[in-house]
This record gives sequence, C-alpha cells and structure tokens, in this order.
Amino acid sequence: MRTLLVSLFIASLASSASLFSQDLSAREIVTRADNKFNGEKSSIMVMSMTIIRPAWERTVEFKAWSLGHDYSLTLISSPARDAGQTFLKRKSEMWSWNPVISRLIKLPPSMMTQGWMGSDYTNDDILKESSVVDDYVHVIEGEENINGRPCYRIKMTARENASVVWGHQLRWIDKNEFLVLKAEFFDEDGNLVRTETGSDIKMMDGRNIQSKMEIIPADQPGSRTVVIIRDIKFNAPLEEAFFSQQNMKNIR
Amino acid sequence: MAWRNLWRSRRRTLITVASVFFAVFFALLMRSLQLGAYDHMFRNAIESYTGYIQIQNEDFWDDKIVDNTFAFTGDLEKRVSACNNILATVPRFESFALANSGNLTKGVLVMGIDPEKEKYLSNVKNRLVRFRLSDSAIAVLSRSGMPVDLKKRLVLLRGNSYSSPASLLSDLGVSDNDSSVILPFFRKYASFSNAYISNGEKGVLAGDRLAKFLGIGRGDTIVLLGQGYHGTTASGKYVVKGIVKLPSPDLDNKILYLPYDVCQDLFNAPGMLTSLAVSVRKNDDDDIRRLMNDLSSEIAPPLKVMGWREMNKLMINQMDADNKSGGVMVLILYLVIAFGIFGTVLMMTSERKREFGILVAIGMRKTRLAAIFVTEMCYIGLLGIIAGIISALPVIYYGHAHPLRFHGQMAKMYEDYGLEAVMPFLLPGGYLIWQSVVVAVIVFIALIYPLRKISRMVVVNALKS
Repeated sequence: MRTLLVSLFIASLASSASLFSQDLSAREIVTRADNKFNGEKSSIMVMSMTIIRPAWERTVEFKAWSLGHDYSLTLISSPARDAGQTFLKRKSEMWSWNPVISRLIKLPPSMMTQGWMGSDYTNDDILKESSVVDDYVHVIEGEENINGRPCYRIKMTARENASVVWGHQLRWIDKNEFLVLKAEFFDEDGNLVRTETGSDIKMMDGRNIQSKMEIIPADQPGSRTVVIIRDIKFNAPLEEAFFSQQNMKNIR
Repeated sequence: MAWRNLWRSRRRTLITVASVFFAVFFALLMRSLQLGAYDHMFRNAIESYTGYIQIQNEDFWDDKIVDNTFAFTGDLEKRVSACNNILATVPRFESFALANSGNLTKGVLVMGIDPEKEKYLSNVKNRLVRFRLSDSAIAVLSRSGMPVDLKKRLVLLRGNSYSSPASLLSDLGVSDNDSSVILPFFRKYASFSNAYISNGEKGVLAGDRLAKFLGIGRGDTIVLLGQGYHGTTASGKYVVKGIVKLPSPDLDNKILYLPYDVCQDLFNAPGMLTSLAVSVRKNDDDDIRRLMNDLSSEIAPPLKVMGWREMNKLMINQMDADNKSGGVMVLILYLVIAFGIFGTVLMMTSERKREFGILVAIGMRKTRLAAIFVTEMCYIGLLGIIAGIISALPVIYYGHAHPLRFHGQMAKMYEDYGLEAVMPFLLPGGYLIWQSVVVAVIVFIALIYPLRKISRMVVVNALKS
C-alpha cells in the first residue's frame, strides 16, 4: 500500500516536471511580443512612412512620443506641406492640429476607418483600443519559418464582447526574440483584409526589434505602406502632462 | 374617276378635307410647342452648367475624387481650341471640402473657375448680389414714399438677396410700368456692394445661403479643410470677396467659387483640372455631334470626351418622363381628331349609299368601287395633310423667332431655376413626318367601316334608300 502511494506521488511529480518543461502558452507568447514594443514605460521614435500606390508614392517623416498604451503625440516633419501637423491620442480620443489653418480638430468616430495621412494604417489602428492580449483567445497552431527564423504560428480569435474590428488574426512570432514577423488580419466573415510583415531586425536602444514594417491591404493590388523606424529611445522621462492640446501647438 | 368623284360634291369633300386639315394643324402646333419648350429648357440648363462637351480624366466621372484629375497642358488647350466650332475652353477644378467659420462647419462644393472664362458657361459674375433687403434697408424704405402694400410685402422679404433688378421687382410684385419709379428707391437704400474674384488671389465667392449659415460676409475669413491629391491634406484660409445668389437653392446652400489656380494649390494638385468644358458657336445636335467626333480624335486615354447626354442623364430622364406625358396629351388630341374624321367619313358613306347601290347594280364590281373609294380618301387625306403642314409652318417659324414670353409668377418660377421664361416652337424636324404619318394612319383606319359597308352591301336595300 505504501509503495503504491509513494510511486503514485513520484509519478505525479514527474508529470508535473514535464509540465514545466513544456512550451509557453499561446497567450504568453503574444504577451511577450506585445511587451517588446509596448511594455516599456515610454518611447520616442523617429519614423518614416512611405505610402505606395499603383500610380504614385509618398513619404511622410515624423517623430512620435508615447507613454504606455494610452498617450501618444506625433509631429510630422516632412514633406513641407504637411510639416507642423500634430496628432494627439489620449486614451480613446484623438485630435489633430493643422498650423496652416490654426485649427484643432477632434477626430470623430466616423473617421476611424480612414487611413492616417492617406496610408493603409488606419486611425483606429493608432488608437489601438483593442488589446491583443485581453481581447482575444490564443491558440498555437504550429511552427513555421519566416525569413529563416523559426516562429510560432498563433491563431487569435476575438472574444465575443471585445470591441475589435477583426474576426480573427494569425501571428507568426519569432521563437527567440518574440518579434511579430508576420500577421494576417481577417474580418468577421473570415476574409483576409490585411497582411503585416516585420523585417530588418536591428539592435535599437538595447533591444532587437523589427525596424521595417509593411502593411499590405488584401484587396488593392499594388498598394502598400512601409514604415521604417529610424531611431527609437525607450523609457525617456515623459509625463502625462506632456500629452496636452497646448503642447500639440507648441511642439517642434 | 376618283378625282372626279371628289369634285362632284364640293362641300362634302371640303368638310372631310377640313377635318384632316385641322387634325394635322393642331397636332403639329402642339408637338412643336412641347418639344420646343423642352429643347429650350435643356439647352439653357446645359449651357449654364456642364456645357455640351467636357474633357475629363477617364476615371473621373465614376469616382469624382481629386486623384482622378488630369494635367492641363498648353498643348492640350491648343489642340482643343483648334477644333471647329469651339468658342472657348473653360477650365474647372471641382471638389468637396469642409468650410469653417468660427464654430460653424459645413460641407461645401468647391468650384475652381477661371474668373474670366467662366462667363462662357455659368456666368457667375451676373450672379453677384446687387440688392439685399437688410434690416436697415427695410427700416429706411418703410419710411419712404412707397405704396403701403409694397411696404408690407417688403417686410415679408426680409433678408433676401437679389442678383438682378428684375428678380427683385418680380418678388415685390411691381409691374413693368412702375419699375422705373420704384427701382431708384432700392438702388439708393438696398444696394449691396460686391466684388469679384481673380486669378492668383486667395479670395472666394460664397453662395448667399451658405454665407448666411456660416454667418460670414464680405471681408470675413473662411477656412477650408479637405482631402488633397495623393492622400495629402488640403487646408487653407481664404477671404470672402463677394456673395453670389444662385437660382438653385440647393447649390446656393453649398457653393464656394475659387480661382482655379488657388484651388489647385489648396488641393496640392498643381497644373491639374477635374474638367475642361467647351463653349460652342453653333449648338444644334449635328454640330455638337461633329465636334464630339473631332475632339475624340484629338483626345487619347487617360483623357475622355464626355457628351452632354452622358453628363445629364438625370435631367434627360426627367424630361423624357415629362415628354411621355406630353405625348399622352397629343394622343388624346388624336382620339378627338380620329372621331372627327370617322364621323365625316361615316356621314359621307351613308350619304352615298344610293350612289354605291346604283353603281353596283349597273355592273361595277364591288372591288373596283372599293378601290375608287379608297383612292378618293387618299386624295382627301393628302390634301388635308399638305394643307395642314403648309398652314402650320408659318406659325411655327414665327413662334420660333418670337417665342411666347411668360410674365409674373410663371416667369419667376422659370427664372428661379435659372431658365429663360420663354416657350419657343421647335423648327420642323422628325416630328413633322411622324404627325403626318399618324394622321394618315387614322384616315386609313377610318376607311375600314365604309369598305365593310360596301362589301356587305345588299344592292336592293341600297337602291331603296
């Protein structure tokens, strides 16, 4: 009798040990990837965004300050026509300041699906009201290589009560660095709407991150948006007071 | 024989001919008047807005966004102007933007025009407000020596703007005779000082209703915000230089005229246009069609030549619908006429029953008799139709050169839509043939009864009548 109990105990210990050596859960993988960018307290980024269309191409350069998920301030520096325009996000509201006409405009919900500055990156994406961790149910579907790097393929299905525009997403997350190397976005009917890819992995401010991101809409051949991070500083000392309408007009 | 028969009884023949004659005469006049009115109406509308022909980017008509503009080169202008029948080329840059003044914002139609050339199309300069019945103007005029009923009407028209003395006087109900007495009062106390826009200046003309909504007047600043070329933001500040009053209330509520080079700058589309309209010397259908062919051979993709029919589908549909109802009226006229002809033929048949009976009795075959009768009716029909046409023609030509002119309320209604208050006759064309054919058909149908009568005739009974 005693030997039976001891052996059962040892067996259960062994199985729990194997549990520990198992892979991370899908949710944890996604959380780690999300924390790569958004886990830091704050960041200051210098980026350039190129909008590519079948008939033309346009590049916008800007600097973005952000504090956590809730606050961000963006200042356009190029081209000359758009330079000086700023965008402020506070929680779930967004404003834009246009120095040419000296007008501060609050972006209404109806404008959320429009591309920011004419790109494929929508205002809604900027507001990122949905959290990739909390609003989805995550499942690991398998493993694939993207650009020679082994990745987890994770299917994220939107929860019933979450206010997300996507029905589900597929994410390919690098196993070593937890970088999102590819993501596919599907609407509620299961149609592919957008593909995002991350590449040019560089060391920036002590972290390995993808410095180039491409957003490719599924239904417009020849159209895409390429965002390149030129410089990034994490955990700069930024306060919530920095993200104000007054500062929108003054920032240079 | 048929011919001789006709003249045996002059009176009978003339009565029958007369019924056909009146049929043709009235049908022609009615149709001419109806078609003339439509023709005039749509020509007015077309000539004052889209023009007969426009050159556009081939994608523009289906998706009227700023990205679907085309480059307005000197070469293009030269090639278009060189075509026959072109009076002027009129460049336009039309788009949508939000207009803001103080706390009020409204979506507006931004019309970039060439301030001088636009006179060949919509003649914006004529629409500048000349009189405004402001509160102070009404106060002074109420104390003046004008008739009392006029002063009462004045109060009802508070705040209205007018771009011509005619529309002001018409609203007040002043007759043409009194206008020379009344008008000076208004010139003195209700005049509105106005100005026009010019190329290169950041000044705009606002529609009267739009200006009232935004609470702006001459000299105020208006801010425009919109979607520019290739995803840029269109934004700019402009001075209101003048106020216009457009007859269409819908347009008056949202129109903003800018010089087109300033407009190109606003939308970040230098050198681009949404459309190049043309003004023609001769505007009949054939000339327009020829011009369209000429232009099509000069213009290649990505440009496209758009004709007025394509651009005014809605108006054409509406007119077609109205035309059909006019057609119903003419049909009713025909019905009345048909009975007239039928009645006369009936009378003629019964009158000649004895005659027919005798002819058959002495040996004429019924078919021969029928043939003679048909020939007689043909002559009568022909005579009637020709007489009808000949008498209608002078009336038509006169009515075309000196159209019916409306007065009073009717005139005001037309003018409110920017149309000339006239109703001209349409010169002879396809419709002339059609009306004649229809009358001829009626005559033939009327023949059926007498022919049946002849074939069924029992000679003995006929002789007895």
